[in-house]
Amino acid sequence: MAAPMHCSSASLLRTTLLYHSPKPSALPPLFLTPAFAANSQTTSFSTTPRSPARRDGNSSRGTSALRHTGLNKKQRLSVRLSNLPRPVRDPARRSTVEVSKDHPLYAFLPNSESAIDTPEELSAHGRAWTITELRNKDWEDLYRLYWVCVRERNRIATQEAERERIENVPAALGGGEIYGAMEAAMRDKAVKKTMAAIRGTLRERWYAWENARVAAMDDEEVDLYANTENGERAYLPKEDDAGEQAANQVRGLNLGSEDDYRTDPSTLQGPDGGRGANARA
Amino acid sequence: MTTAVPPSFRLGLKKIYLPDFTVALKRTPFLPPTQATFTVPLWFSKLDLRDYLYNVYKLPISPSIRSYVRQSRLRQGADPSAARPQYKRWHRPRSTKIMTVEMGQGFVWPTGPRTEEDFKSWNKKELKIAKEENAAMQERAGPGGDAVGVGEERRAAMKEQAKALLEGRERWRSGGKEGQGIMFGR
Repeated sequence: MAAPMHCSSASLLRTTLLYHSPKPSALPPLFLTPAFAANSQTTSFSTTPRSPARRDGNSSRGTSALRHTGLNKKQRLSVRLSNLPRPVRDPARRSTVEVSKDHPLYAFLPNSESAIDTPEELSAHGRAWTITELRNKDWEDLYRLYWVCVRERNRIATQEAERERIENVPAALGGGEIYGAMEAAMRDKAVKKTMAAIRGTLRERWYAWENARVAAMDDEEVDLYANTENGERAYLPKEDDAGEQAANQVRGLNLGSEDDYRTDPSTLQGPDGGRGANARA
Repeated sequence: MTTAVPPSFRLGLKKIYLPDFTVALKRTPFLPPTQATFTVPLWFSKLDLRDYLYNVYKLPISPSIRSYVRQSRLRQGADPSAARPQYKRWHRPRSTKIMTVEMGQGFVWPTGPRTEEDFKSWNKKELKIAKEENAAMQERAGPGGDAVGVGEERRAAMKEQAKALLEGRERWRSGGKEGQGIMFGR
């Protein structure tokens, strides 16, 4: 259909008359005159009521950072351009931060003055601890030494990261390759060796204890379930000679082993409970 | 490991007796002094780092910790220690985990060596000369060594030698004993 479609009946009529009347100048019939009135009432096909344009009370409606609209007239910010703080561009005029001498993070660095050790300082160390030396140490000592090693390795790792940073700085800005990587690796190796020796010592100790426990399970003279806190005795030698046993008791708990001469009798607990040998002596 | 100041947070229950990992402090001039950044093992959690710093370094930190894992770049070759370059093999080195903590007490790194005078103890100048010498020698000995030509020092020595021969101060000799000198063909 060539004619455009319109929704109002008035325009429809006008179109019909224009296209289909043989005489374009002919007037419409009298009964159609009201339809050509200027203020004719029309109804749209849509039943949805039309809302007024975007009255949602949003004061920043239409403000968009993407479209560079800027602020509208009603918007006020808490900060003015004149009140904004200005950055200090000159590094000499910037305020310095006071760091206390005992800050815990200094433990990651060689000392509070330098960020990285020289190769000479890095190689100023002795050899690692050996298992033979560490066998004489108790658990507390070994544990303390191990954590000293852990902190030392953290320090070495921090310095290595710092060295890599210096080497990646362009030569024009004062960077470049420097010595010290090998010295740090050797120091790290010595520390790791000490740590391995500590673990080896503890492993030895654990196996010794485990073997003794397994042996004691088969030994009739040993009671593994004895409550030594309450004075029960874990080692109960067989009473094949009552006289010798009595003599042992008098002498102060001589157990008949080769370790007796190294044992202080006053530290041993007797069968009578907590009073021990001291009470008898 | 005990500390005098009680923690303001609830300490974790993960027991670590004999660890074999390292935690390294990083230099971060772009961060405020109250923030410190550490390189930690990949399995570390934020709570792990908080307890570690408290127990080992007696460093109490605020509860907000930032953490991210930085992926390494692809590197050529399957084995970094291989003698020859492996052109068709690629590997990606292990990622690193980095955590940033906030402290109550500010910390600023001491300034490291900057000038050539500072770097004297690190033999920076000597290392640079040695690297250049090494590179020049490699180039002379390499497949493009003929194109490099003869250096100025060698030219001067040859000139001096030729002059001495012409003036009769020296006599020409063949390449010494058998087996020495230049070997033609193989």
